[in-house]
Amino acid sequence: MIKFLDGFIANMYLQVKRFWRARSRVIGSIVQPLFWMIFFGIGFTNSVSFRGTGLVYMDYLIPGVIVMTIFSASFFSGVSVIWDREFGFLKLVLVSPASRKASIFGRLMGDALIALTQGIVISIVAYFIDPNLNYLSVPIILVIALLVAISTSSLGIIIASRLSSMEGFGLIMNLIMMPFIFGSGVFFPIEAMPLWMQIIAIVNPLTYGADAARWLMLGVSTIGIVYDLLVLILISIILVSIAMITFERMAVG
Amino acid sequence: MTIIEMRNLTKKFGDLVAVDHINVSIREGEIFGLLGPNGAGKTTTIHMLATILRPTEGTAIVAGYDIRKDPQKVRKKIGIVFQETTIDRNLTGFENMWVYGRLYGLSGSVLRDKIMELLRYVELEQWKDVPVKKYSGGMIRRLEIARSLLNEPEILFLDEPTLGLDPQTRVHIWDYIKEIKKRENITILLTTHYLEEADMLCERLAIIDHGKIIAMDSPDKLKEMVSGDTIYIKVKKNGMSIRRFISTIENSLGGNPKIVNKFTIMINVPDAPSAIPKIFEIANRTSVSISELKYNRPSLNDVFIKLTGRSLRDEMGSWMNIMRMRMMAKMRRGR
Repeated sequence: MIKFLDGFIANMYLQVKRFWRARSRVIGSIVQPLFWMIFFGIGFTNSVSFRGTGLVYMDYLIPGVIVMTIFSASFFSGVSVIWDREFGFLKLVLVSPASRKASIFGRLMGDALIALTQGIVISIVAYFIDPNLNYLSVPIILVIALLVAISTSSLGIIIASRLSSMEGFGLIMNLIMMPFIFGSGVFFPIEAMPLWMQIIAIVNPLTYGADAARWLMLGVSTIGIVYDLLVLILISIILVSIAMITFERMAVG
Repeated sequence: MTIIEMRNLTKKFGDLVAVDHINVSIREGEIFGLLGPNGAGKTTTIHMLATILRPTEGTAIVAGYDIRKDPQKVRKKIGIVFQETTIDRNLTGFENMWVYGRLYGLSGSVLRDKIMELLRYVELEQWKDVPVKKYSGGMIRRLEIARSLLNEPEILFLDEPTLGLDPQTRVHIWDYIKEIKKRENITILLTTHYLEEADMLCERLAIIDHGKIIAMDSPDKLKEMVSGDTIYIKVKKNGMSIRRFISTIENSLGGNPKIVNKFTIMINVPDAPSAIPKIFEIANRTSVSISELKYNRPSLNDVFIKLTGRSLRDEMGSWMNIMRMRMMAKMRRGR
């Protein structure tokens, strides 16, 4: 009698409601990308130029930062599965007869909705910092960023399932997230990277999301929107599947 | 009828044997307690029975299904209140229950009505739209208990249901637990390290220590393991008649009477209420006037001491100590 939908709805509802009740988190979550845009963006706009293109650094940075906001939020919520498993609601999911696959997928979608909301907020803020970009394409960017969100959340869940306690949480967050953010083409083009860094970029969902956003907002792209989309769909399918299987086998401490 | 049957149920974490080949049968409709100190294996046992932890060895039949082979079927038949609260503090009481109900396939007006009925039952109806972070500890426990009844389980697991609550709230929760058993005709398995809780609430008990069951019976039967009651007799004057009083008592009641201080005599008897009239009669005969008399029945702690040589009370220390230990454990886990 317990349908696939029940676990999905319960978990999605919970994630969204939880976030809605703690709206101050929206502000908190955009502070960091905002600082990147203001300090890093303005500083570098005044000190570097893209030879012969007429592009300023701020134009280059903003599309990437919008997707990065969604990326960080999703990674965080993915890894926080570990917290929820020990002290929170996921323990109830594990002990209930609801489908675990549906439950984790509902959670992924709920988290993605939240991350996209943060993406919208930062886009609005970005408009006031640099209105020269094509902001009409933001809705399309959000659709693409949905793939970034669910694949990144899944990645977080997979990593969290390897941790047996909360101890590694902070370390993992920085140790994994920072290389992914810097090795993604958000702050500087992939062409400017050495080979080892390009390898990080290739397996990184943020790379394709940022590239697609830049293509849509600025008309400039390294990889090309078609490849961006295809690779993101592929990465999403793989990571979501692994995350579902991982959660299926998850036990409490 | 047996509703839970553990068969050599065992859990090892590396070298540590948390639960060691336990065999316990729990009858339908009883309140059964697992009593033991922290780290005895109580929570691990419950987690295995609730199918969120796989046994290393052995198995259990819960509500007719094997926890290893049919965990999904077991899950439909049980409700559980975890030791750590699993309520989301940002959601209201109603919302917390709604999400839980959805996980069990309930929805629409059926779910809404059931939630309202249970909230009324635990007297939280007026609080239903208030975020849980405004609730007191006792209210959160009540909400969790109400929530665990949403799917009309046959078996309810309560892991330390009153841990961290003040004594008054604790008694209140006990009343709810007793009432639920009556109302829902449900089997309740609870873990506790509170002697009073085990004594007041449980029809049968298993005392667990280092992962092993060391005794199992009703609280009264367990206490019979410790021989008899202790009577303290305080007399008004200590004189020659006292010697005669003591020797007469020894002759008629046995019980090894001892003078513990100048005016107090201690005596061990199998059953104090039936011995006391005789003591007064002897006092009368030997012209001794008794100023005070009291007796102690053996407690579950005495049982635990007899079985392990350690006191459950000393080991637990005060409630504050437990909370401190729990805080430290959490910090170690990085919370």
